[in-house]
Amino acid sequence: MEMECPYAVEMLGITKRFPGIVANDNITLQLKKGEIHALLGENGAGKSTLMSVLFGLYQAEEGTIKKDGKEVQINDPNDANALGIGMVHQHFKLVQCFTVLDNIILGVEETKHGMLKKDDARKKVLALSEKYGLKVDPDALIQDITVGMQQRTEILKMLYRDNDILIFDEPTAVLTPQEIEELMQIMKNLAKEGKSILFISHKLNEIMEVADRVTVLRRGKCIGTVNVCDTNENELSRMMVGRDVKLVADKTPAQPKDVVLDVENLTVASKNHNNNAVKHVSFNVRQGEIVCIAGIDGNGQTELVYGITGLEPAKEGKITICGKDVTNASIRERSAEMSHIPEDRHKHGLILEYPLDYNMVLQRYWQPEFTTKGGFLKKDAIRKYSDELIEKFDVRSSQGSDTMTRSMSGGNQQKAIVARELSKEHKLLVAVQPTRGLDVGAIEFIHRQIIDSRDAGDAVLLVSLELEEVMNLSDRILVMYEGEIVGELDPKKITTEELGLYMAGAKRDTQKGAE
Amino acid sequence: MKNKKSFMENPAVQGILSALICIVIGVLIGYIVLLVINPAEAGTGIMAIMKNFFNYPIGKIGMKYFGSTLVKTAPLIMCALSICFCYKVGLFNIGAAGQYVVGAGVSLYTALAWGLPWYLCIILAGLGGALSGLLIGVLKAFLNVNEVISGIMLNWISLYCVNMLLTGVKEPSSPYTLPLTGHGNAGLIPSLGLSTLFNNDKVTIAIPLSILFAILVWVILDKTKFGYELKATGYNKNAAKYAGMKEKKNIIIALAIGGALAAIGASFLYLSGIENWEVGRSSVPGMGFNGIAATFLGALNPIGSIFSSFFIQHITDGAVFLDKTAFPSQIPDLITAIIIYLCGFMGFIKMLLAGKKKNKAAPSAETKQEGGKQ
Amino acid sequence: MVLLLQYMLLFASVLALVALGGCFSEHSGVINLGLEGVMVIGALGGALVLKYMPAGSPAALIVILTVIGAVICGALYSSLLGIAAIKFNADQTLVGTAMNMLATAVASVLVKAINLSEDSSNTSSVVTYIENKPALTLRIGDFEFNWFMLLALLAVIGAYILLYKTKFGLRLMACGENPQAADSVGINVYKMRWAGVLLSGVLGGLGGIAYITAGSSWTFETGVAGYGFLALAVMIFGQWKPQRIILAALLFGFFRALGSVYSGIDWLAAMNIPSTIYNLMPYIISLVVLMFSSRNSAAPKSEGIPYDKGSR
Repeated sequence: MEMECPYAVEMLGITKRFPGIVANDNITLQLKKGEIHALLGENGAGKSTLMSVLFGLYQAEEGTIKKDGKEVQINDPNDANALGIGMVHQHFKLVQCFTVLDNIILGVEETKHGMLKKDDARKKVLALSEKYGLKVDPDALIQDITVGMQQRTEILKMLYRDNDILIFDEPTAVLTPQEIEELMQIMKNLAKEGKSILFISHKLNEIMEVADRVTVLRRGKCIGTVNVCDTNENELSRMMVGRDVKLVADKTPAQPKDVVLDVENLTVASKNHNNNAVKHVSFNVRQGEIVCIAGIDGNGQTELVYGITGLEPAKEGKITICGKDVTNASIRERSAEMSHIPEDRHKHGLILEYPLDYNMVLQRYWQPEFTTKGGFLKKDAIRKYSDELIEKFDVRSSQGSDTMTRSMSGGNQQKAIVARELSKEHKLLVAVQPTRGLDVGAIEFIHRQIIDSRDAGDAVLLVSLELEEVMNLSDRILVMYEGEIVGELDPKKITTEELGLYMAGAKRDTQKGAE
Repeated sequence: MKNKKSFMENPAVQGILSALICIVIGVLIGYIVLLVINPAEAGTGIMAIMKNFFNYPIGKIGMKYFGSTLVKTAPLIMCALSICFCYKVGLFNIGAAGQYVVGAGVSLYTALAWGLPWYLCIILAGLGGALSGLLIGVLKAFLNVNEVISGIMLNWISLYCVNMLLTGVKEPSSPYTLPLTGHGNAGLIPSLGLSTLFNNDKVTIAIPLSILFAILVWVILDKTKFGYELKATGYNKNAAKYAGMKEKKNIIIALAIGGALAAIGASFLYLSGIENWEVGRSSVPGMGFNGIAATFLGALNPIGSIFSSFFIQHITDGAVFLDKTAFPSQIPDLITAIIIYLCGFMGFIKMLLAGKKKNKAAPSAETKQEGGKQ
Repeated sequence: MVLLLQYMLLFASVLALVALGGCFSEHSGVINLGLEGVMVIGALGGALVLKYMPAGSPAALIVILTVIGAVICGALYSSLLGIAAIKFNADQTLVGTAMNMLATAVASVLVKAINLSEDSSNTSSVVTYIENKPALTLRIGDFEFNWFMLLALLAVIGAYILLYKTKFGLRLMACGENPQAADSVGINVYKMRWAGVLLSGVLGGLGGIAYITAGSSWTFETGVAGYGFLALAVMIFGQWKPQRIILAALLFGFFRALGSVYSGIDWLAAMNIPSTIYNLMPYIISLVVLMFSSRNSAAPKSEGIPYDKGSR
């Protein structure tokens, strides 16, 4: 009397090691057929690694995987695909200069005598697109389409391959609240059709809304699996971080004074397409206030910051910092009064091959304190300065100022950047995604630093994609959509839903930006 | 035990060890090639190359040939410095060979046709090389032209131009330029007694000068603000831009300096009188390319380049002692090329060395435990 | 005039073949700066076949075996790049440069050893194949048609079809643009890159033998006069597209040919331009061409970056 196995796939006792770290430590995860199962954990908890093992990108050192009750070996994505497992990655794995159709068929192309045959594929893609409501243009190049359409391409990749087990890795990171709701609906439809879904997230509200069960990971270990109907956000949060998290930072009301940053009619070109990324944006930031640019990634925030800091030239408009026109000034000239915590700490923020102390003086090495008149570095002064910053900001590393920055953890690298930028002379602080990829402890620390900086009289321009961070930290919210400022909101008076409407371009103020 | 651990982890030690490994493997392969060609004489052959001037008895004659090797090591060090310097900024200065040619052309012409004193010839040669490097730098910085390809193009362009230029100062009946003694005496680099020491009138102060240049380059890279900026640009040009560094300016200056170094190297060789330029030559001198080997063998360290340059020149000159009826004279070129190829694997070799250290540490911990148990 | 056309087509064929080789390698993600060396070794392979084939063998056989010799040697030599860059993630520029230096040394050593063993007074690095060389050409009136011209044309057409119309081509290009994406759909990036590198060896070797058989003998000490790099300039000018590479190759071929035939063209000879200027032209033209085509280059995005499966 054989009972049909209720589980679509099981991961039993999985252990995966990387040099110096155990990413997954004896984790067991069982996915029921037709369920939406969430995988919850902070950054670095091991969720993506676990799913990569399931998808064949990594091989576990210990443990077994079973499909329909039978043990299987998944050595590469081909094996996973053959078993019906598909994955939508957090960072899309698309070839930019190929079309949507080419990206979907890549790896499972139909051929005749080795030559590509795309007609049947095209028909199938359009049919799937129709059935599940995933609008795409098969002949558009990936580099020309929106992030939303790129994600739909990734989903179609899975459906095209008749995958039954669908893994979504942090799918909502780049979507508006409306698009998130659509995605939730799509997932529910897929589950109704019999697909089994694994859904990685660190967002409690989404999990509560759409998942049937949730498995919580913390620092590589499995804390437990619960039914969503039996739990709540606070309990999940506790399982995730191991202690009660303060969801709202303490903050006294702002008392803004003089204008520090004044942006007038700024237009910045886009690198990816012919339109401008920033279109005639005007706003200002005063001493003692935190202004946050909210919006979905890809609506021009990056280019706005590049234009203000000088990483990209302004096509039109005027930028004034502390009364000085810096529109055509060099980056170094702007840095006299401005500190910049960049969006990408590895690309812009640090030189990973340098020791920590060299990075600590990255914005000041040329000043008389650190360089002699003859052009020689004052290594002792540099070391001393670095040691001070490390102490003050609790930056942890294996060898202190001598540590090669590459070997430091992401959180400490970010702390080093924050230390450096806050300690140098500035009236304006531009902080872009300052807590991206960090654990809760580091996030709290950096939020505290930013608030203290504001209270000391800084003007802070914050750019963030995390709604909670936006609501908690800002005194004023400016929403950016498709390169324009579409709304100025008071975080004390606005709801998340309304904010989402602005972010999706569904609502906009009749006047924009500056006070 | 702790001392041993940090010894192997020291990047300088790893650099030297991996360089030595590359050399040993390179020489070994050279030996195997000799064996294949002529088993009987292979042993003598490889020893002849390795010994170079030691083939002569120690004393006046030995010193003379030691001196000759040193004379040619000086330009090699300069070429190595040129490539090392540019590599730190993230550039591969293959154009060093062409800058070397420019240096030869300018120094010989100014010495022979204009009768200028040696120091002026060297300075002008440096300027010529700097111009060539500047061009490559401008093309790279403003037009994104790959410096390897533009460098190679300029190598050939410089060759043909210098050949044309030096035709004006060549001997009437041979394709070689006039010797400096008698036609451009002021151009000869002084020796300040070194020639007596080595019993070789071609040994000049160029040799200690090249070592001084190596130290200078090391100081610039390691101790100055300029070096900080150059290395930053080479490691991460985005972060360098973020920090307000002027990337284009640094690329151009670095290539100009690299060009000057290689060109001065050429003047060190040709103004010693040891060689004349053949105006019909159909390819660039190998010194510029051997500089690549010297740089990487020296672990991209200016001081290391001094020693690696000497080694490479040592075996290159050693070819003279090969029995040409038994072996082709390109064997040292072969060994040098193999060594460069192996240098590409240096990252991997260093990893292996670091791995060895880990295994060594483990057993000692175990024995300690056992001792405790008893 | 006929001579001009002949030389132009011959040099263009050499450049096109090698440029296509570079194209395949770079489309897969590996920069092959060692094409100069591949040409030399491929040339060596083909030359030795030509030298040792018994005189009087059927022409077709000579051509086929020469091609095979060149192709096999070129492919084998390019594996040096493959091992270093794909298996060991070595610096591709450095390895390529090493391969160029190594090839000339290896070829010289080998040829000299062979010559020495045949005739102990011959210490040169010259390989002569005067008896069999005519098999490679076909006289059509005044025009000496070289089979390599046809091979080059076929290679261009074949490359176009292979890259844009086949499964192999789609996957190859994916590996050079976004190897992580290719890996995630189950493509073996390492195997694809090996294919790209070996193809560049095949085409480079062909280009090499085409180059040296312009004459009846070759001195291997001299290498290939920078043609490997000229071909890279052609590839960049052609923006990594076969249909443009052939045009770029013809342009360069024209200028190079001019240098060989100008004395036979009355009005050019009358201008009394020194031969050095003609020699300089291909290199100067490359530089000028590069100045204009390097700005917005369509280079494969992930070329030169060693693929590391573990990095995300």
